Amino acid sequence: MAAALAASLPAPSAAPAAPQPKYEAIPASMAKVIDIEAEIPLTTIQLDGMVVTKIIKHAREAPSSTAHGLLLGLDLDGTLEVSNSFPLPYHTHDDDEKSVKAIARHQASMLRSLKEVQADDSVVGFYQATTLGAFFSQSLVDTLAIHQEKLRHGGVVIVHDLSQTARGNASFRAYRLTAAFMDAYKKSNFNTARDHVLTRSHDSLINHRLTFSSILEELPLKIRTNPLLSSFLGTLTKAIPSTMPDATPLEAYETAVSPSYAALDLGTAGVTRNLEQIVEAVDAYRTEEGNVSYLIRQIARERAKADNYIAKRKEENQARIAQGLAPLPEEDVSRLFKIPAEPNRLESLLLLGQIDAYAKSLGDTSSTSLAKMYAAKASAGI
Amino acid sequence: MALGPTSSAIHITGTGPHYAIKTPQNVTVHPVALFTILDHYLRRTDQQDRVIGTLLGRRTEHEIEIRSAFAVLHSETDEQVAVDTEYHRTMYELHHKVNPKEVIVGWYSTGSNLNTYSALIQNFYSLETAPHPAVHITLNTGIVEGEEAGVKAYISSPVGVVPKAENCVFVPVSVELRFHDAERSGLDLLAGTSTSTTATSPQPVPDLEVLETAIQNVTSMLDRVLAYVQSVLRGETKGDPAIGRYLMDTLGASAGVGEEIGGFNGSLQDTLMVSYLANLVRSQAEVSARLALTTAT
Repeated sequence: MAAALAASLPAPSAAPAAPQPKYEAIPASMAKVIDIEAEIPLTTIQLDGMVVTKIIKHAREAPSSTAHGLLLGLDLDGTLEVSNSFPLPYHTHDDDEKSVKAIARHQASMLRSLKEVQADDSVVGFYQATTLGAFFSQSLVDTLAIHQEKLRHGGVVIVHDLSQTARGNASFRAYRLTAAFMDAYKKSNFNTARDHVLTRSHDSLINHRLTFSSILEELPLKIRTNPLLSSFLGTLTKAIPSTMPDATPLEAYETAVSPSYAALDLGTAGVTRNLEQIVEAVDAYRTEEGNVSYLIRQIARERAKADNYIAKRKEENQARIAQGLAPLPEEDVSRLFKIPAEPNRLESLLLLGQIDAYAKSLGDTSSTSLAKMYAAKASAGI
Repeated sequence: MALGPTSSAIHITGTGPHYAIKTPQNVTVHPVALFTILDHYLRRTDQQDRVIGTLLGRRTEHEIEIRSAFAVLHSETDEQVAVDTEYHRTMYELHHKVNPKEVIVGWYSTGSNLNTYSALIQNFYSLETAPHPAVHITLNTGIVEGEEAGVKAYISSPVGVVPKAENCVFVPVSVELRFHDAERSGLDLLAGTSTSTTATSPQPVPDLEVLETAIQNVTSMLDRVLAYVQSVLRGETKGDPAIGRYLMDTLGASAGVGEEIGGFNGSLQDTLMVSYLANLVRSQAEVSARLALTTAT
């Protein structure tokens, strides 16, 4: 997906062409909020009602739990207004050259088509469906990093949690990459080496103080319904007198949208699934840690060999100097011993983030269900 | 669940051997489709009185389920009407790629008047959906004074001795709003948002807040039921035996108090355990991430 996005996104729009003389001057009242150079930083994201339903629909119907699509909209005075979205086709083989091109084509022609019906056609980010709050993944980070370069304001991701929505609380969150992570990502150096003799790398997890919680920063998100939608929803939810001829009591009414009680469900079916997810994520993390520590041992072994060699050479040289002979040259050890590169820690960092997210959603569920249980206990009169 | 003002139309369906293609008896609309239409209407140009678009969905034997919609370009003047069929084709292919199960089922327009142009467009869509009949949805946005917002669905049948494209009868079909559980929580969210004064609502909503609203809802319903029961007991209103039995069934469901105590304590312990475990895992993950940042030096 990442590559496809890169292929089709417009080149970094440095600045829309300077206002032509035929345009009216920007009125003084708006002068402060219009920024051509994207200098006003984003403070909030505003999600349109239609986008909310579109994302929920796509997330529910997508064959895998990782439905994703693009967000379209505009920013004004620090508020990014997301006014439309469209889903991207689902492909099993992301790296397949053909499917990458297909997605790019799809996107370009969708944008063109939307423009024709006066819809917003500037990409501002993408959305991603997730279950149980764990959305950290390599592809998400990659896509965000690509957007960072290509989009005005660097792009955002809106994460929609399917499992929470099923519990009656539609949840949307907006994130973007932190500057520290972006810096580390650009140098693509996710090891913990600070600076040692052989590989001098300064940029690392430590220098940027990166943990899983500092990869993404959350932006406040608001849901907005436009006046037309508000009034229509008002009509839908308005209580109209029951049409049944013998309806009693007299105040009986019906609405097109009946109230929902999914939040009151006492069932704990989700908890088992959540626990399984945690165990899986922990297993994956263990495997990754195993790989990392294997590499570290390898590095240590090679380095010990190199150090030994140097020490021996020095000793020999000292002996030779004592005997009045010319010292042997101290050769470049890095040519003699191949010291492997420091292992990449990004993967394990992301896995830790996933574990944390699963555990967080588990904690949230259990705290709510505690409240529900006491409520049920009180009402059952135990 | 009716959408909009009630109509006096009778929905008649023929069932005979000569009805080879069954006419749909029922049309259900998902909120996404309705909201897309509203958005399209909002973005119309000054010259446009109404907007039209294609409806996508699934078709079963008696029912048409409208699951999404997209806008289509068209122009109407006094002399002629034009629909951008190429645009319609492109958009359909784009949607089809993402969701292959959805097919063209009909078209929508805003406003509730049906005219000759409607018949012509209907004729075009009938060709698209052949051999199945095309549905026409009119969505009244309710911005014209004196008209109520609402949704109506029609299918067409030819009229006249010689069928002509511009002549047809629009037969009303019953239409319902339909949504899945996942969509309903989104709809609740939007309904809550639309009633707030700023028409915005912050996200995410804590779970407990949602729970509180649901419990308050139930409490108010219980109050209403209680008021009704008491007025029946006082003899002010005549009791309805059906309601009485229904209440008995519903409220009697929580019987068998004795065996629930054990169950309650058991699952309380489970929940506490799970909560403890979750916190433990989180702190371990945090510690692990920080340990990765330390060095031997």
